[in-house]
This record gives sequence, structure tokens and C-alpha cells, in this order.
Amino acid sequence: MITFSDFVGHEEAKLALILNAIDIHCGGVVFIGEKGSGKSTLARLFKDLIPEDTPFIELPLNLTEDRLLGSIDIEKTIKFNQRIFQPGILSKANGGVIYIDDINLLPLETATLVFEAQERGEILIEREGFTLRQPVRFIVIASMNPEEGNISSHLLDRFGMGVIWQGLKDKLQRIEVIKKVAFGGLQPNIPSKYSDLRLKEKISLARLCLENIVIPSAIKEYISQLCLAKNISGHRGDIYLTYAARAYAAYCEHNEVSKEHVDKVAPLVLTHRQRMLQEMEQKEDSHKSPYKNLPGNQEREQNNPDSGEDSKSGAGAVQEKTHKTEENDGGDGHHHWVESNPKEEIFEIGTTFKIKRMVFKKDRLDRNVSGRRTKTRVKDRGGKYIKSKFKRNNDIAIDATIRACAPFQSLRGRKDRLLIYEEDLRFKQRQRKMSHLVIFVVDGSGSMAAQKRMIETKGAILSLLMDCYQKRDQVSLIVFRKEKAELVLPPTRSIEFSLKKLKDMPVGGKTPLSSGLLEAYKLIKRVARKSPETRFILLLITDGRANQTILEMPVWEEIERVVGLFNDLPFTDFIVIDTENKKGYMKTGLALKIALLLRASYYTVENIKSEFITELVQIHRKENFKDQVYWRGG
Amino acid sequence: MIFPFTAIVGQEEMKIALILNVIDPSIGGVLILGEKGTAKSTAVRALAELLPEMEVVKDCPFNCDPDGFLCNTCRERLKREGHFDREKKKMKVVELPLGVTEDRLVGTLDIEHALKKGEKRFEPGILASANRNFLYVDEVNLLEDHIVDLLLDSAAMGVNTVEREGVSFTHPSKFILVGTMNPEEGDLRPQLLDRFGLCVQVTSIQDKALRIEILKRRADFDSNPQGFLKAWENEQKALSQKIMSAKERLNSINITTDILEKIVDITSLLSLDGHRADIVIMKSARALSALRGKTSIDPEDIKDAAQLAIRHRLKRLPFEEIGRENEKVKSVLLGIG
Repeated sequence: MITFSDFVGHEEAKLALILNAIDIHCGGVVFIGEKGSGKSTLARLFKDLIPEDTPFIELPLNLTEDRLLGSIDIEKTIKFNQRIFQPGILSKANGGVIYIDDINLLPLETATLVFEAQERGEILIEREGFTLRQPVRFIVIASMNPEEGNISSHLLDRFGMGVIWQGLKDKLQRIEVIKKVAFGGLQPNIPSKYSDLRLKEKISLARLCLENIVIPSAIKEYISQLCLAKNISGHRGDIYLTYAARAYAAYCEHNEVSKEHVDKVAPLVLTHRQRMLQEMEQKEDSHKSPYKNLPGNQEREQNNPDSGEDSKSGAGAVQEKTHKTEENDGGDGHHHWVESNPKEEIFEIGTTFKIKRMVFKKDRLDRNVSGRRTKTRVKDRGGKYIKSKFKRNNDIAIDATIRACAPFQSLRGRKDRLLIYEEDLRFKQRQRKMSHLVIFVVDGSGSMAAQKRMIETKGAILSLLMDCYQKRDQVSLIVFRKEKAELVLPPTRSIEFSLKKLKDMPVGGKTPLSSGLLEAYKLIKRVARKSPETRFILLLITDGRANQTILEMPVWEEIERVVGLFNDLPFTDFIVIDTENKKGYMKTGLALKIALLLRASYYTVENIKSEFITELVQIHRKENFKDQVYWRGG
Repeated sequence: MIFPFTAIVGQEEMKIALILNVIDPSIGGVLILGEKGTAKSTAVRALAELLPEMEVVKDCPFNCDPDGFLCNTCRERLKREGHFDREKKKMKVVELPLGVTEDRLVGTLDIEHALKKGEKRFEPGILASANRNFLYVDEVNLLEDHIVDLLLDSAAMGVNTVEREGVSFTHPSKFILVGTMNPEEGDLRPQLLDRFGLCVQVTSIQDKALRIEILKRRADFDSNPQGFLKAWENEQKALSQKIMSAKERLNSINITTDILEKIVDITSLLSLDGHRADIVIMKSARALSALRGKTSIDPEDIKDAAQLAIRHRLKRLPFEEIGRENEKVKSVLLGIG
């Protein structure tokens, strides 16, 4: 077995664990990083740092609420004819640690219950005829891979510390890792066992000194200044930073917390909070935008210069070779049917980025589809059984039913079999994420070719496609250019094609925007008839400069008419992505006008980029990914 | 009657990948890419049949290893009675059906028992019967997400911890995971792909002579299975012995720093995330070297192991099918000593 001291690298993460082992007030830690990089392995080694009788409870993914909080013990209740409580695993964790692997895969309900108990310092049980309060104290250690989805900033804020986990790149370190795995299982590793033991002693010594460590008021002030300077909202930052600095001082065997101690632990406590703040600001921003930013008022884009922008567009520039289509390289005559086109180009796909989470309201319709974007209640028996409820369906929660009938067995005169009455029946509430059909309605007109906007736009589309892919959405692609719109990619879940379609998408000609919307409308009608439970997202990607109609009528009148059709489509969300160059002078704000007509969420190509933690972790990944795009692009 | 493993024509990559997992189950399973009718499940069943019996705790529904980690029941039994009987069992292939529910997979409250007796008892699920066996998941990419999460969670830990519906139970769940998928029908998330130790691609055999040979053997087997098995008996025994001796020698295989450096060279040239690729290449190369009767890993083992371990871990453009990166891989592997 590998020991804590064996673990190669990741000194920050190790320090976080050590500080938590010294002082339970440090509030736990979450490791955020890429797959297969040892997050869980290290987290589990925390056991080696704490006293042997300290509970270390791992939350299994299959957990149901009754086992988390505790519930009636059916066996004993029936046997002794009185309600007897069976404690849940939160009580088992009292005085110790709860470890949650892949916390972002755990149902939100479960995670919330854990943190609620932690915050209150007690478990409140109000179920199955029990009203109980049980004091508990535990810390939570968790890991997550942000590629599989984020957790809410509120949950993240509950962690005392956060470590952005960077994979080891150093060759010698990587070799060291394989060595530990190869030989770790063979012989008991005496030296590292010994250093673990010494570390453990050092930790328990630090734990004893903790109370006697002085925190000078100048340091307290320094801490709050630091949090203010970093724009940390709320008091959790200050509090956890103080505890962390104190634990670190104890670990260093000093009697007084110094500035150096604070500086050393500040990244552990503050990094994940800063990220959250940025996300929140952005949310507010995008929330306001469709209503407050009327055409011509693009201050926001200028106020919000994206620091990462330069490097990103720089990478895009690497691929900025545009391929001209055949018609430009020879006047062979057989091309004359496209002559009316001034210019037709195919652009490369620009760099991709993570997409902001687009949240949809839960709806009340029972559905039975799978996917990962919107959580929905499900009709059939798939999906996760979260808890039981009184409301009838055809999915009996037998465990809850038995618990409900258990206390009444002798009253009802049970001899052999359990006596279950109508009123005992409980039903399962399951949850599964439902999938959407995301219809990309893309402007392929000549104006999109201006200043290579199409490269960046394609990058944005590809990023959105990746997002859909991760969320198990179906996608469909409609391109409008020249005379009318065309359904390029019918709804599909296996989206290998979409990349190719996107790559080969030509640009040039007029802008039949209304035709694009009409085509989308027809598609939605068609699909909705076949599978009425589908939800739709119409993603309109355009600069809004419509100039081609289906009938002979003014352009905007026709658009308004088509938009009017959408009124009878209940389950469609609209998103407009404005591709207009907001830095240029020729701003029209026409896309925003359409967004307002559609009552759509409005984004610009720049501001759909997500700046959440994923960014931090993925900066490196993106680096690789760029290479990839490059050597594949050739 | 099961068609003998050694009589299966072609599909060498798949066969080797399966064998390596038997030699070292910690490699983490095989993902098989390919169309239907390419002898995938036949091969797995045939391999299970070929292996000698293993020792288990008698009557334990979890096939507990008497000398390994025990389930709650066996532990209590050992405490109560001081010992338990052992029996010999053959390795099985347990199938995971696509529509499986969470409670069937991990196990749950034994409802019948609860209704009849008013007592709590754990009803083992598929992860219980899979312990120390092959767990075969046809079209793993079509499983519901939360089921795959649960599956890979136990696969990684080797333990199934159940905390649901009033029951609390822990039992070993170490299995060789064999998943199949047809990449055209949709992909697995990269995070899940990474959890499979090895990945092989099978295609139907195009060579005419080989195809005739397949038909001939199949016909021989169908008309006289006993006779066919007899004819292949020696080959079967030889392979079985080879595998078992490799299993025994696994820990004595020599691994030099030089060799580990080569592994890291491969994975960093291909810029693979995390350490799983490194570790899996090392483990498979070690198992290969043991199978080949060598005493230390040499570059050839590394190259062959890498072929199996990196295909599904390469960074791809989204939606790009896996298994199309051969050129890049080949050139990297050529550069290795």
C-alpha cells in the first residue's frame, strides 16, 4: 500500500490535508482537477494522518436519504413493538471525516443535506414519526473533475479550502509515481511508514498546542484586508483563513501566527472563493444584458475586457488560413450557377472554450428521457431513487412502505407476514436529467465573413456542441444563406457528423434570417409531434443583418411574423448569440433586436465563454488541445 | 459446451488484452470496440472456461476469497465460528443488462424477507455475483450515466459499499470489467473511457482463408463438441498453465528506471492526462513480460502494452471516433528504443 509520505508531489494538497488533520475547524477541502491524477488516492490517505479511532466515512454514490440521516429500524421496531431509530451514516461520521468522491456526481439534495448538518452542527430528523436532534461535527473532504460538471458556488463556499489540482508534468516525478505503484504492493515500505508515523506525531503535537497560539490583532487585520483586497464576499474567507493560519503556525511549532503563515495558507483558502465571485459577477452581467443593453449601448463589452482574450485569439490566428472554394480558382464555366455569389468562403474552426452553464427552469411534466441538462422527474423506473413520497404513482418505495407500517404491526395483530395497509404505501421519487434538442440556426451569409468573424464563430459553435455532447443533448444544424435556409444536420445524438458539417460550412451570399427561423419552427413542430416530451433550445447565431425574405414583404415584418409563430411552442428556450464585432465601428445591434423579439437570452461570442474554475484547470488542457487542433487541422 | 479459447481464429489483440487482465486484474478491464458478431462474448466466455477453478468461501453469495477481503456475512461467520469451509468454483461471466436499475446493480433490501419476517436482510445485486468473475457489459455506452458511474466506482475500489433503503452492507466486488461498444452509436465520456484499463478494436476478419477456417472449426465444434474439445485439450491446458505461471511470477518481474522512462516518454509525447496511462502501461507490460516467460520488461513489452493502453486515452476532437489516431501513435512508438 502507498502511504501518505509516498505520495509524489502535490505539496499544496498535502498541506491542506495536514492542516485539516490538525484542526477540524479548517473546514475540509475540495480537490478540483483532471481525471486519473491521484485526487482520490491522496484524499483516502488522509486516514493515515488522523488518530485510528477517528471515523473516515466514504459516501457511496448509491446512497439514499434514509441511510444518510437515519431512519426507523424496521427489524427492531417490529420485534420490540416500539419505534426504534437506526442512525444514518452522518452520525457515524461524528468527530471525523466524510469523504465524497466526485462530489459533482452526487445528487444536489444529498450534498445539501450533508452541508446543512455540518453548518448546524447537528442532524435534524423529522421523519417517520421521529423528531430527533443529534449533535455532529465532521469535516468534508471531496474531489471533483470539473469536466464532468460543476457544483454550485454555494456548495463550494462551504469548503474551508480548495486546491486546484495540476497534473504532474515533471518526468522524474511521473516515473516516481509508477515506481510507487509497481513496488508499493510488494514489500512493506518501512521508511515511508516511519515518516508517516513521524508526521502523525507532529500533527498531534500541533493539535495540542493549537489553543495556546496567539493571533495578534495586527494579523487579524491583515487577514481581513487580504480578503477585502481579493474581493472575498461573506465571512467564511476570513474565518477559515484565520484557522488555517493558526493550524499552520502550530505545524511550524511557532507560538504566534505571523504574516508568513497567513501568506502560505491564503491560496488554499481563497482561490476557490475568488473564482466563485467572478462567476457570480458574470451571472449578474448576463442577466442584465438582454434588457438593459439596448442597441447602440455596448459599454459593457468595453468595460469587460477579457484578459484571456489575446492568447485565445492568438491561437485562433494560427489556423487562420481560409480555404477558398473552387469557384475562385478557375473560370471553367461549369461554376456559373454560383456566379450570383460575390464570394463564398469556408473558414477554419476557431479555438474552443468552456460554455457558461445555461440553466433551465425545472418543469412539472413527468418525462422519461435521459440526458444531463435539466433535471426532471421521471415517469418510468429509470433514474435515481432519491426519496419516497406520499403521492401515488406506479413505483412503490417498498423500503419506505415497510418503515411506515413497522410501528403498527402488533397493534394490527401481526402473526406471520407484515400487515401493510393502504395508508402505509409510499412511492419512489426518482430524478434523471432530461435531454434537449438543441437546434443551431447559423447565419452563413456574406456579412459573417467580415474580418474572419466566422473563425471565431465556428469556435463558439464547436464549444456549444461540446457542451451539448457532455450533456447528452441531441443537436441539429440549420444554415441560412443565399436564398433560403437548409437543414444541414437532422436531429442526431451521435454527433460525429456535426464537426464535419461545421468544417465544410460555406459562408457567402444574402441573409434569409426569417427562412432560418421558419425552418427551425417546422423542425420543432415535427419533432414535438413525434416525441412530445422533448424540450427545445433554439440557438440563433447571427449578426442580425437580415436582408432576404421568403415572401415579398419588408424584412423585419416577416421576421416578426415568424417569431409570432413560436408563441405556440411551449417548451422552447431561445438563445441568441451575436457575432457582430463589438470592437468595430459598424455596430448595428440588430441581433439584440431579434433577441428581444424572441425573448431570448442574449450573448455575444465573447461573453458566452465561461470563466469559472474550469478555466483555471483547463488552461493547461487547452494548451494541449490547441496543439491537437493544430496537428489535426493540417 | 463452450467453444475453446485457443480455437478462436484471429482477434489476437482482444485475446491478449483479456489474458493480461486475468494475469493482473488491477489493470482495470478491457473496452472492446467493434461491430456485432466478432466473437467478443464468445472469447470472454471461452477464457473463463479455460481457467482453473478458484477457491472461495463455501456458500458465500459474494465468492469471497478465503484469504482476502471478506464480506460482512463472512466476517461475522468467521468471528462466530472461527473458521469456514472452502470450495472450488469456476470463474463465470456475469452479464449486465442494459436496463439494469440501481438497486439491482448494487443490491438492496431483501423485500420478501422483510415482508415475511419483518427482518432486514441484504439482497445481493449484480456487483455481488460479479466478484472475482468477469463482468460483461454489452454496449456500455448505452447504459444510463448514473449506472456507469456506480459501476466504475466499484470497479476502481474493488469494494461495493451499500447505504440505501435501510440496509448498510459492504462486500468485495473485484471483477474484470469487459465492456463493448460500437462507437457509431455514441461515445462514452472521456472520464469513463479512462477508467477502462485497456482498449482494443475488433473488426471482422477479411482474409478468405481465415474466414473458411472459422467456419470449418465452428462446424466441427457443432457436429461433435466432445471430439472438438478433446482435439484442443492440449492447447487449452498449455495456455492455462502459461497464464497461471505468469500470474505467479508477476511480482518478480524486473522493472528498470530506464523502462519506466520510456513509458513516460510515450505518454508525455502524446500529452495524456493523469497517471492512469503510465500505470496501466507498466502493469500490462509486466504481465506481458511474465506471459512471455521473461524476467524483466523490455521495450517490446512496453510497445505492445502501450498499443492496448492508449488508444482510448488519446485526446480527440469532440465527436471524433476513437480508434483513428493510429498514425500518431505508431510514430511515437517507433521512436521508443
